[in-house]
Amino acid sequence: MSETTGKILMLLLTAAWLLPLAGFVVEIYWLRLSHRLHKGAAYCAVGCIGLGFLCSLSALLFWGYQNNWSALTESDHHAHAVAGTAAHASGSDQQSAVKHEEDDDDDEDDGDDDENEGGHTEHAHAHADDADHAHDPHADHAHAAPVRKYATGTYYELARFSGLRVSLDWYIDSLTLVMFVMVTFIATCIHLFAIGYMKDELTEEYEDHEVHLHGGGHFSRPGRFHRFFAYLSLFCFSMLGLVLAGNIFQVFIFWELVGLSSYLLIGFYIERKSASTAANKAFIMNRVGDFGFLIGMMILWTSFGTFQFGDRGEGAHAEAGLFTMVRGHDGKLDVSEDGKQVYLRNAEGERAEKNGVPLTISYVLLVAAGLGVFAGSIGKSAQFPLQTWLPDAMEGPTPVSALVHSATMVAAGVYLAARFYPVFTPEVLLGIAYIGCITLFIAATIAVVVTDIKRVLAYSTISQLGYMMLAIGVSGWGAALFHLVTHAFFKSLMFLCSGSVIAGCHHVQDMNRMGGLRHKMKITAYTMLIGVIAIAGLAIPGTSIGLSGFYSKDAIVASAMAYSELNPGHFLLFITPLVTAGITSFYMFRLWFLTFAGAPRDAEVYEHCHENPRIMTTPLIVLAVLAAGCAWGGEGGPLYRLIVDSETVPAVNRVISVGSSHVTLPSHQGHESDVHHVHATAGILALVSALIGMAMAYLLYVKKAVDPHQIRMQFSSVYDFLVDKWRFDALYEVMFVAPVHVISAWCVDFDRRVLDTILHGAAKVTVIAAKWDRFFDETFVDGVVNLVGNVTYTVGNSLKVVQTGRLRQYVMWIAVGVIALFGALFSAIPK
Amino acid sequence: MIEQLLFWVFAILACGGAVAVVATHNVVRMAFWLVVSLGSVAALFFLLHADFLGAAQLLIYVGGTVVLLVFGVMLTASGPYNAIPTSPAEGIVGGAVGFLLLFVLVSSIGSVDWTEVSGRLPAVPAAPYLVDMTLAAKADESFVNTGSPRAKAEFAATQQQGRTVRQLGLGFLGLRPDRHLAEGDGKGSASGYFLPFEIVSVHLLVVLIGAAYLARAKRRVVPEGSMNVG
Amino acid sequence: MGDIGLSQYLMVGAVLFVCGVVCMATKRNVIGVLMGVELVLNGSNVNFVAFSRYTPLGLDGQATALFVIVLAAAEAAVALAIALNFYNNHLTIDVDRGNELHG
Repeated sequence: MSETTGKILMLLLTAAWLLPLAGFVVEIYWLRLSHRLHKGAAYCAVGCIGLGFLCSLSALLFWGYQNNWSALTESDHHAHAVAGTAAHASGSDQQSAVKHEEDDDDDEDDGDDDENEGGHTEHAHAHADDADHAHDPHADHAHAAPVRKYATGTYYELARFSGLRVSLDWYIDSLTLVMFVMVTFIATCIHLFAIGYMKDELTEEYEDHEVHLHGGGHFSRPGRFHRFFAYLSLFCFSMLGLVLAGNIFQVFIFWELVGLSSYLLIGFYIERKSASTAANKAFIMNRVGDFGFLIGMMILWTSFGTFQFGDRGEGAHAEAGLFTMVRGHDGKLDVSEDGKQVYLRNAEGERAEKNGVPLTISYVLLVAAGLGVFAGSIGKSAQFPLQTWLPDAMEGPTPVSALVHSATMVAAGVYLAARFYPVFTPEVLLGIAYIGCITLFIAATIAVVVTDIKRVLAYSTISQLGYMMLAIGVSGWGAALFHLVTHAFFKSLMFLCSGSVIAGCHHVQDMNRMGGLRHKMKITAYTMLIGVIAIAGLAIPGTSIGLSGFYSKDAIVASAMAYSELNPGHFLLFITPLVTAGITSFYMFRLWFLTFAGAPRDAEVYEHCHENPRIMTTPLIVLAVLAAGCAWGGEGGPLYRLIVDSETVPAVNRVISVGSSHVTLPSHQGHESDVHHVHATAGILALVSALIGMAMAYLLYVKKAVDPHQIRMQFSSVYDFLVDKWRFDALYEVMFVAPVHVISAWCVDFDRRVLDTILHGAAKVTVIAAKWDRFFDETFVDGVVNLVGNVTYTVGNSLKVVQTGRLRQYVMWIAVGVIALFGALFSAIPK
Repeated sequence: MIEQLLFWVFAILACGGAVAVVATHNVVRMAFWLVVSLGSVAALFFLLHADFLGAAQLLIYVGGTVVLLVFGVMLTASGPYNAIPTSPAEGIVGGAVGFLLLFVLVSSIGSVDWTEVSGRLPAVPAAPYLVDMTLAAKADESFVNTGSPRAKAEFAATQQQGRTVRQLGLGFLGLRPDRHLAEGDGKGSASGYFLPFEIVSVHLLVVLIGAAYLARAKRRVVPEGSMNVG
Repeated sequence: MGDIGLSQYLMVGAVLFVCGVVCMATKRNVIGVLMGVELVLNGSNVNFVAFSRYTPLGLDGQATALFVIVLAAAEAAVALAIALNFYNNHLTIDVDRGNELHG
């Protein structure tokens, strides 16, 4: 995109980014401005984030207008193969499109060759092909730097160490814009909802019923309404900064800020033991992942000498960003013959050289860097094996959960993994896929048995995040982000609904005590139903008309299927999400049936429950509309096209891996692509799976065809295993906590027995030595000194009588002295 | 012959006066004997051809210092303090020490061959051309230049007999009429007494001021307002 | 009688010197002590002048003697001033009473 466009977008998004920060500053000092009981802080927060949404939306519209919405209309240009070359030669943006096609072309050739040879040719081979094409007039075209589809720049340069820059940058492409619009919009809805949800805090004496004092009463404290909104604003600021960040270091800064905000919000009811523990758990678990992130970042910095995402500058002065350095402009890893080194590229996409020596990074290091960065994502997005913090994070107020689970915290991990896709080698992607696969299955199975309404949603979030990671791993880049956005909408919707239920039922969260609530909470019930259908991925059979989740999950399953077709050894990566789609559908409908359908199970809860005021239901309706329709058109629709407009090159093409994994990533776009082949099949399978899940939920919880209790009795060990969350907490207790305790006990013992003994012994020895020293000092040193003093004194004393003070005597002595001198002289000198 | 006689007379007077000073107890009498002794010394100076020195001795000592001492007696030793007796033992001890000292000195003097010592001295007065040109013209230069040191000294002494005023005056102005400038190493031996003279004069001035300060009448009652003066 | 020479004058100087020393050592009167000092100085003066006369030293002896006379006068003046102060403070001129600095 052109520089002016980039500047204008930057200004708009910067405004959207900084507004919540301004809001945070105002709200955190709210008590100096106004009264605790005043709702102004909330209005301030809503105003800031709402303005931010308007800025983001106008940025998106402006961007589309500048491009004549080419991203929407022509995203299927890949389909037209080489024929499109002439047609697209006009627009500047389309240059890259042209390039993509050619790459497709080459790649497909390569793929054919590879298949003939057994499917694992090294990339060097592909390069040989490129060299063959060198005389081709298209070749120059292919290697020329394409017009960038992103805009990047620097706000402020913090430091520069001989070529290594640390700066505050911005990086804007269509993904950034979509994320901004999504985050600000959902955040606005959640802010509005929170005004109603948090109104209990508008008091001088908030009595916390969860905190029992020793005296038998409850803890009470001044309300923290303004502080809650201040934290929310900080959260939004951090997340937007993360999305806008133009280099990995800045991402890390905001990554930590997001972690801090979530810590503050999860521990909002800090007086509750469970809340503070959960906040600590979230924070510490994230640190574990961030450790990997730091390592990855260090590898990147040492090897590449830059944190930048995008290329900077033009022509000869251009500096290559991380992505270009790894992938060039053709999206391929330039691996050396022996497969141990990866050549880095310069801004033109050529091999980068320094003093005539080509710059390289060890392939293993590149894998390590990818795994490291992904470790950060694991922590932030609650993937296996760091998934246990997310359910505990339900201790925060429900709007926080909604924000954490949809637009901000967990989305950050997926966003980072997607942003860093070009840096990931196929081996790393395989690891990501399996991590996602394991996560989605584990979380879904746990969600089946959980009865806390918020925890069901929490596990479903983990499961859905697993889907996204799986999608990234199987090169379904667009599918992953597509699902990220749709999931953000329906998951925030469902969380707000659950919040509405909780608020309506006076903080009852156990689904066993609910039931039949749809009669009392109509809006909540039916908006929730929309969310449930969306996440279950239901559609009208025979057509491809469904809610947003249908399209995005469809895309993921299709990618996974294409992947497993190309790599039959990894069939689990397709089977698991397919089965889990059914499980997802089952537990989501179970949640809805248990909560809203059937007869009331707890009369008291039912009696006192009520629909919430309009300020809480309006966001539900708005979000429900978007949850249903945001993915309209599926992979031909505007949202998906907007996202894949900034799709990185390697995600598009079929890639054959080098090294030990021998995986082949499916090609992705166009009607000839691997994914397209299986799309219809995958969609039908996923839909069937989801329908089965729904049907089972209906049979079990509405028709009561089989009593769930009996199943529970039948599979009690499995049930217990699931209720214990696959015993991960217990496992970690055994693996980490208990050993630490044992080691600490040993350390204490060692301290007490050995170190203390040594110290005490040393102290005693010192005391004894000091006593001897004192004795020596007092006896000998003092004795000598005193002796000298005494002798001097005595001699002086005895000599003082000589000094009579009598003048005449002195004269006499002088005379005597003279005589004595002479006498001595005469007697001494010989005659 | 008369010179010898005079020497003996004044030598005995000087020694006797000194012994009398020691022997008497009354301060005023001691002052008298001191005058006798110092006057005799002045006479001895004249005998030694130191006419100016003899005059100075008379003026300063006999006329000045002794009068000063008598004034001191008058201001301090009134009544019983005129004579403070010394214990006999002290007198005996003092006398014994005195005799011993005298014995040492006399034996030292007697054991030295003064003629030979003065002959070894390097300073031989040159022709006193500045002192008395007429006398110098008459001198037999060959005798002077070839004679023994002693002869030279005697010659020079006879040439300057009793006429030291002008020589001392020139000496205090930095000129040495009795020395040849090229004598010795030619650097310092022929210098005059200009600098010592100046130093002594300033010294005298300082001492007189200091004496006047020390001896001034102390004011016993200090007025209130002048306490800070000290 | 014999010939008068340097030795005779030195003898006179020695006698004067010894008398001065004994005077200083025995007299309890401050003035007496001062007189002893004068005697000592005169004894030395006699020596100087005698050397001036009987040795080739020339005027050096006389000049030195002159300085000694001047210094003796100065010393006498100061000493008398001190004696007066001593008298004012102690109402006596007995030097044995001025033994504040005894050991």
